[in-house]
Amino acid sequence: MLLAVVASLLLYFLDTRLDYFKPVRMTLSTAVYPVQKLASMPDDFTTWFTDFFQGHRQLREKIMKLEAQNLTNSVRMQKMQALESENMRLRELLGSSFRLQERVQVAELLSVDLDPFYQHVIIDKGETFGVYEGQPVLDSLGVMGQVAEVSQFSSRVVLLTDPSHSIPVQIVRNGLRAVVTGRGLGENLQMEFLPHNADVRVGDLLVTSGLGGRFPVGYPVGKVISVNFPQGKSFAEISVSPAARLATSREVMLVLPGEKIDFGITYPLQIEESDLPAVEEQPAVDAPVTPSEESN
Amino acid sequence: MVLVKSQHSSVIYITLLFAILLMLVPLPDTLRYARPEWVAITLIYWAMALPQRVSIGVAWFTGLVMDVVTGGILGIHAFAYALVIYLVGRLHLQIRQYPLWQQAFTILSLVSLVHFIVMLSAPITFSWNHWLTVLTSTLVWPFVYAVLRKIRRSFQVS
Repeated sequence: MLLAVVASLLLYFLDTRLDYFKPVRMTLSTAVYPVQKLASMPDDFTTWFTDFFQGHRQLREKIMKLEAQNLTNSVRMQKMQALESENMRLRELLGSSFRLQERVQVAELLSVDLDPFYQHVIIDKGETFGVYEGQPVLDSLGVMGQVAEVSQFSSRVVLLTDPSHSIPVQIVRNGLRAVVTGRGLGENLQMEFLPHNADVRVGDLLVTSGLGGRFPVGYPVGKVISVNFPQGKSFAEISVSPAARLATSREVMLVLPGEKIDFGITYPLQIEESDLPAVEEQPAVDAPVTPSEESN
Repeated sequence: MVLVKSQHSSVIYITLLFAILLMLVPLPDTLRYARPEWVAITLIYWAMALPQRVSIGVAWFTGLVMDVVTGGILGIHAFAYALVIYLVGRLHLQIRQYPLWQQAFTILSLVSLVHFIVMLSAPITFSWNHWLTVLTSTLVWPFVYAVLRKIRRSFQVS
């Protein structure tokens, strides 16, 4: 018994305090991945089964719906691209650098329930796919969370609702910046440390502010659903419902770092870099282009 | 089962693995706090029936696997299970004699202990919801007891 107690305390200490212990933990996580995979199999099978035996008509309806959606999306995309390039140009005039689009990688959730006190999920991509700790995770509607632990074939993702997770956000309407923190299973998020006179309204959309450098700018985080100013407390009580479908999403997207889609109008940004003496990439080509563009 | 025909200890490990899988199988969000502590009660059963086979070491190791699988802090489940199995090892002769409802109360207190230790380490605020698992564990105990006894007898695990 004494041995067990000592071993437990030692493990607890190593796991919580020391960074060296991470490889060990990673190996252990890799070792139990088959168990997790096994546990998710009944659910995977049900999904496969319902997919397989879906009626012809249902499938056709689904295709029709998806095609209609695709059409509206591509129309919107056309507009988007024009707006994006305009936005880029304006930002260049202001001299601020900005990244509009990130590249993403798709991963799938393992249908496994972890400890209900931690809001974590397992995804089926790990170190072999270049997943790294702190990598932002999105679904089709908004931010889901970030990668907390990577093992060989899988990774653990902390959801926004985890009590230990906070994310820097910005209100779309007025640019007010704040921090949104999780409150645990089945609860809404909470917007913290805003004074009673903060300009927050019910229905405000929150997006990532990009401060802190971990999450990319401008992805939806949630919507304000109630605002209270309790007497005698220093901060407002604002609850936020997450934009991402944290409970039902199966496919998630991992944002890849440091890569952006080239729109062909980013020259001035590169010029600024090439003004530095060390970098001498394409100053000759770009130099004549930018002044004329800017003067227009 | 053929491999370890002499004592059938693999049966014990298979039931434990099955219990771990039951801990992982997805449930709707509203029911997640009500999931019985399958692993704890399986361990308690085996420690009660065959204290010489399921020792503190087995409990500790199972707990470690649980810690890794559920993504908690390492050592928490290990410690909780080891402590409970230690107590069961001390008391198994008494617990065996109890009628089933009294056994259920023992389970209630043992699972509460496990749960209390696990909750101490978690970043949560107090809520009665979190104790639902203790209740459901107690409720499923008679069934688990019956099933595991059946398994033990039909495979003649000793």
